[in-house]
Amino acid sequence: MAAQNNVLSSKAAESAAPKKQNDTFNQKDKPTQVRLSNITAAKAVADAIRTSLGPRGMDKMIETGKKEVVISNDGATILKHMSVLHPAARMLVDLSAAQDVEAGDGTTSVVVLAGSLLSAAEKLLNKGIHPTQIAEGFQGAAIEAVRILEDISIPVDLEDREFLLKSATTSLSSKVVAQYSSVLAPIVVDSVLRVVNPATDNNVDLNNIRIVKKVGGTIDDSELVSGLVLNQNAITSAGGPSRVEKAKIGLIQFQLSPPKPDMDNQVVVNDYRQMDRILKEERNYLLNLVKKIKKAGCNVLLIQKSILRDAVNSLSLHFLAKLKIMAIKEVERDEIEFICKATGCKPIADIDSFTEDKLGLSDLVEETEANGARIVKFSASKSAGRTASIIMRGANQYVLDEAERSIHDALCVIRCLVKKRALVVGGGAPEIEVSQRLFELAKAQTGFQSICFQAFAEAVEVIPTTLAENSGLSPISIVTELRNRHANGENAAGINVRKGAISDMLRENVIQPLLVSTSAIELSTETVRMIMKIDDILASR
Amino acid sequence: MSGIFETSNQDSALTIGGTRVSGQEVRSQNVMAALSISNVIKTSLGPVGLDKMLVDDVGDVTISNDGATILKLLEVEHPAGKILVNLAQQQDTEVGDGTTSVVIIAAELLRRANELIKDHIHPATVIAGYRLACKEACKFIADQMALKVDKLGNEALVNVAMTTISSKILGGYGTFFAEMAVDALKAIKTTDYRGKPRYPVTAVNVLKVRGASARESSYFTGYALYRPFTSQAMKRTLKNPKIAVIDFDVTKTRMKMGVNVVIDNPENLEAIRKREADISAERARMLLDAGVTALFSTRGVDDVYVKMFAEAGAVTVTRVPKEDARRIAKGTGASLLTTLANLDGDESVDPATLGSAELVEQVRLADDDVVVIRGASEQRASTVILRGANDYMLEEMERSFHDSLCAVKRVLESGACVPGGGAVETALDIYLESFATTLGSREQLAIVEFANALLSIPKQLSVNAAKDSIELISKLRAYHAAAQKASADSPRSQLKSYGLDLHNGKLCDNVKAGVLEPAMSKIKMLKSATEAAINILRIDDMIKLLPEQQPEDPHAHM
Repeated sequence: MAAQNNVLSSKAAESAAPKKQNDTFNQKDKPTQVRLSNITAAKAVADAIRTSLGPRGMDKMIETGKKEVVISNDGATILKHMSVLHPAARMLVDLSAAQDVEAGDGTTSVVVLAGSLLSAAEKLLNKGIHPTQIAEGFQGAAIEAVRILEDISIPVDLEDREFLLKSATTSLSSKVVAQYSSVLAPIVVDSVLRVVNPATDNNVDLNNIRIVKKVGGTIDDSELVSGLVLNQNAITSAGGPSRVEKAKIGLIQFQLSPPKPDMDNQVVVNDYRQMDRILKEERNYLLNLVKKIKKAGCNVLLIQKSILRDAVNSLSLHFLAKLKIMAIKEVERDEIEFICKATGCKPIADIDSFTEDKLGLSDLVEETEANGARIVKFSASKSAGRTASIIMRGANQYVLDEAERSIHDALCVIRCLVKKRALVVGGGAPEIEVSQRLFELAKAQTGFQSICFQAFAEAVEVIPTTLAENSGLSPISIVTELRNRHANGENAAGINVRKGAISDMLRENVIQPLLVSTSAIELSTETVRMIMKIDDILASR
Repeated sequence: MSGIFETSNQDSALTIGGTRVSGQEVRSQNVMAALSISNVIKTSLGPVGLDKMLVDDVGDVTISNDGATILKLLEVEHPAGKILVNLAQQQDTEVGDGTTSVVIIAAELLRRANELIKDHIHPATVIAGYRLACKEACKFIADQMALKVDKLGNEALVNVAMTTISSKILGGYGTFFAEMAVDALKAIKTTDYRGKPRYPVTAVNVLKVRGASARESSYFTGYALYRPFTSQAMKRTLKNPKIAVIDFDVTKTRMKMGVNVVIDNPENLEAIRKREADISAERARMLLDAGVTALFSTRGVDDVYVKMFAEAGAVTVTRVPKEDARRIAKGTGASLLTTLANLDGDESVDPATLGSAELVEQVRLADDDVVVIRGASEQRASTVILRGANDYMLEEMERSFHDSLCAVKRVLESGACVPGGGAVETALDIYLESFATTLGSREQLAIVEFANALLSIPKQLSVNAAKDSIELISKLRAYHAAAQKASADSPRSQLKSYGLDLHNGKLCDNVKAGVLEPAMSKIKMLKSATEAAINILRIDDMIKLLPEQQPEDPHAHM
């Protein structure tokens, strides 16, 4: 391999020569060095988050540059905040992000798997196998692995709520909020089932599920609202209602405050009668607006935030209150789409187009207070679109943020099931099965392919090993016993973390979507192949 | 297999833009931070706990005995320490009492967990043990220790209030303030729309007036407002007033921004000035014509218009804080008027927006005049006037009084209380230790440590009282062990309510002695302390990033 060490464009060598720290550029076995350096850096990343894997995994506390504290167990979140510097290590960070986008869950496993594959590759490199061959071999093994996973997967029916609940619970069980999984799992499953049509949809738009976070109370108090939930409060300062039944909801993008003249123009008063007229005009202008709104039958008014003018003033609030219209201001622009979908209303940009057909419906709009935080709930109406809102409660901001991430992961798990309706068991069982079958396949082959298959098979066992380690069990005895069980045909035998023993994962209800496992193997193998193929790092400007 | 990670040296291999501490080291650091927080406040626990004086960077002084208050004012840097500070704050908002104990227990749980982990017990096992212990403990409190208040009667309420007060600055006047708290709270009882009784603590109006001793503090039903009537010429008392609460100025009207008054004829000047004054005068006239005899305004009222009201025999109070204005409006059935505009585009006063009461009067309190509204038509209010030698004392008195109000409220709403003075903690210690022995798994050790951590409360109580903690605790443990072994109907089972009598350095039956605490606060305290401890224990890696670092040359370290 050293023989390939080309002259590496001599230009770079020259420019590097005067600097002492760039001695590496003059070394002969540079590609090997680069590869090893990349592998070490990437492995370090995997190593750093390895302890977070599984239901008994630990958390990381990260204090960001802005002195904010993040406590998380989610691989993608940890890596995102860690500000890793080495470019090869960054690839693993991106890998985790990719898994987050693709599957949403298994972001720690994917990185741990990549780290393990890299170690295996390192050993193969030391044996003198060419990196390209390793890359090819791993690719072949990964394809086989995915095939094996599909083979052992169990098809799932979206009508079977029990199954979905189990997989959501499995995802949640590894998070900080694990003890609340009995509360959160039904919320997750029901919210997804609400927004999809199981018969036709093969993807879930998670934008249709809105998560509202409020500090106070415990996670137990979290709930699913089938309609819409707004963080903003109803304005009651002028005595307006905070509870409206049979609501007709209008969403306006104009303001209920007196128009101001442009900067350069001024209204000139030179007679005392004009003063009265100005005051009266202002009243009448607002009164007119409010009356038109009332006339259209609207009794709940949402007002989009504007930076130019006050959304409402005390006078218009007073009128709204008198006409028993509930007002909520400061609706954010990016909330509009969801609100429209949830209530069936259309945003109204001008008073003249304020007509009844643009209003949304809701049986009950109510401002409720619980644990020191106020929210406005809109119960769903029949005309509304398929949306759901999840109200998250938590003791403090850290818990709340972490709970939101966990919910997101669990939502993604259900989404995976909608995308690809098959399940595999968890607890390290599929990995052991893949490993065993790959060993078998390796025996049928010759040459580097066979060695690569073997190495890959061994590397995949990192998942059960880590799972056992993190749970305080002995990895050697657990993994060997697992191998034994699987060799005897117990496909679903996995680590029962709670009992500290091996048992049938299907019976323990530890299940996860097939997509999470396959995408973890595919993505990590691709990243490893990429790292294998790099033989030089150059600074560019 | 696990070998693959062993060879890599983490510190050198992982380059991140900051420092990273992991494993045992970070755990020890976090526990250390938690312990130092708990050390700060632990001497404040209990009836003979001492106070802290906190001086901030401006020089403002706060003297307090309340855990949440002390911690709020401390500037805690360490992230794990911040979790504990949050914990105390949360206990304060949700329960209102027990803020010191919750921190002490959490820190003690952490310290013991750290010892266990040093002995090579996996953190996951410790966490599982703590969870289990907490669950059992809460069940035990609810099943075995909780006493129904309806059996104990009104006296129990006073006792609950007294127990919280006794540890605070008001301790010397225990019964006096305890009875006041119970009366004040009972006076404001309302029922929500589900028919459940509610005691909104905020409806108890607490006024702090400097001067005179704490014993001169008084309580009456009615709403007191720390503002005098606007004019001396007004009546001092007014029976059956019609009350309007407004949120707009009754001053000379000014034109809005963007409206310019330009006069080309000097004669118009006077007309405009007159009109400016008249617009408000018309409003004042409108209010008077509607029969308003007492006007509460959150804004100002110019002297000219004050005179109009005074001459009509009405009273006005200006610059009422908005919060008070809202409560007055709610209590008297008035609505807070932001404008007089009606739906015809004109201005008028709707009689429905006016409220009523039996009496409005101005009374003299120390050097200040206070307006009192009595017999408001809609909602009862109660006012407590605290007297004290100086501001620091008054503020601490307010906090203590608030704590006792919260405690009484919890008992009234949940209807159960438990004996205090370390009785619950010791009982739990005995119970959990015996519970641990029924378990064959590794969690056993963690449960025993959890049990012992609870003992830190009675220990600290007796240490603070300068009593022999070892002797007292052993005796107390013996009592509770006997109580739990005894059958329910034997007289020995009554030993379960024994706790510390810190003034005499003895043990006594705290139910009889009237040392009671809300059961809900104890349960909540255990739950949140365990939760916070677990939160910190789960951390095995801490990464501190450099603030806004320059992007480093990625090749530099190669």
